[in-house]
Amino acid sequence: MLNNLIQELPEFFTYYNILFLLQALLTTFLLSALGCIVGSVLGFALAVGRNATGKMSYLLRIPLATFTEIFRRVPFLVTLMLVFFVFQILDFKLSMFSVALVTVCLIGTAFISEIVRSGFESVHQNQWDAAFAMNFSYLQALRFVIIPQAWKVILPPIFSFFILFIKDTALASQIGVLELTYAGKVMNNKGFSATLVFGTILIMYFMLSYPLARFGQRLEKRLATTGNR
Amino acid sequence: MDLHFSDVLDKFPYLLGGAWISLQIAFLAFTGGMLLGLIGASLQTFGRPLARSCVNAYIGFFMNTPQLVQIYFIFFALPEVGILMSPYEAVLIGMTLNAGAYLAEIQRAGFSSVHITELEAAETMGFSRIQSIRYVIVPHIIKVLFPPLSNQFILMTLGTSMAAIFGLEELTGRAFNINSETFRSVEIFTITAGIYIAITFLATVALAMVGRYIFRAKMRLI
Repeated sequence: MLNNLIQELPEFFTYYNILFLLQALLTTFLLSALGCIVGSVLGFALAVGRNATGKMSYLLRIPLATFTEIFRRVPFLVTLMLVFFVFQILDFKLSMFSVALVTVCLIGTAFISEIVRSGFESVHQNQWDAAFAMNFSYLQALRFVIIPQAWKVILPPIFSFFILFIKDTALASQIGVLELTYAGKVMNNKGFSATLVFGTILIMYFMLSYPLARFGQRLEKRLATTGNR
Repeated sequence: MDLHFSDVLDKFPYLLGGAWISLQIAFLAFTGGMLLGLIGASLQTFGRPLARSCVNAYIGFFMNTPQLVQIYFIFFALPEVGILMSPYEAVLIGMTLNAGAYLAEIQRAGFSSVHITELEAAETMGFSRIQSIRYVIVPHIIKVLFPPLSNQFILMTLGTSMAAIFGLEELTGRAFNINSETFRSVEIFTITAGIYIAITFLATVALAMVGRYIFRAKMRLI
């Protein structure tokens, strides 16, 4: 067993195989990073909308809350399939990467809007009241009072969500996006030993995710709030 | 583009059966993961440095690699050393090991939330060791741990959908089955998504009620 593995090693780690795997790793990273960036922007807008106050604001709040709840409660795989088939019957000619990207953005938006909303909630109600008493508008209060205090609470969970996404995008291999897991399947189908291939894939995921996770922990410690009211 | 939900609606009971299997898988993996996590968290809190770093390695490895690839490894790589498993066993073992890492982390945080002064206070009140565990530590820990644990259970219920990739007939797997029979893909996956939303919503509300009225945890009902 071990002898076979050692014999296979030089055949497996050829220049082109390593290049292939690294490109797949880059795809995984891009998929989760783009999803997180788009998700942050849209999720932020969504959270601002969901927090709106005023007479007719429920027209905005209810659909946005429904969107968030739906995409937080459907598994990644099912959302992926749904997006894939919807684009198919709408006759869009999208690459598999774009389909996965759309899915990742949808889910990212839903999850991050929830993170941002709870970040806003972490700022005490008195701060809102004080801002409104100073005749700030809703957006001004957000811009000058709430966000400067809330971003420390918002940033670490967004970062850990990004790391979660690196792992979740493994499911995109199911529709044939050439990311790390799919690359592993391809190598396995070429006849390399599954132990070697999937062991390498696991280690590559670990090497991508672990430093980011450690960085996230440090970020969380550095930004730890004093909870000022 | 036209949708025909009527073609798929008569498969609804079949899908609901799949949802039941999904919940079963999630429950089994969660129970196993709780045990693993309890051992891990205890070792981390009370263990020797060697045991602690072993647990840290386990948690670090399983939290930083995708569950899907872990199950791939168990399902495709372990047969090379002579450990053959059915897809069901592979998925269950993979999910349990993965859940163990996350649940160990959650439980460790719960353990460290107990303050030494609580124990000292209990001692001052004349509680025996067992009494102080029974009346002081356990109620406190459950109250702190229940919300993140129930959250993790919901996430794991969603995570069971990846069992479909290994051919298990749970909710997503059955959706794939119907899809290959009828090709009404959008309708099927919409209904599947609806069922997922419904079961996780019901589970959230039920767990929040248990947490609020039995363990006095701070949880929102909706």
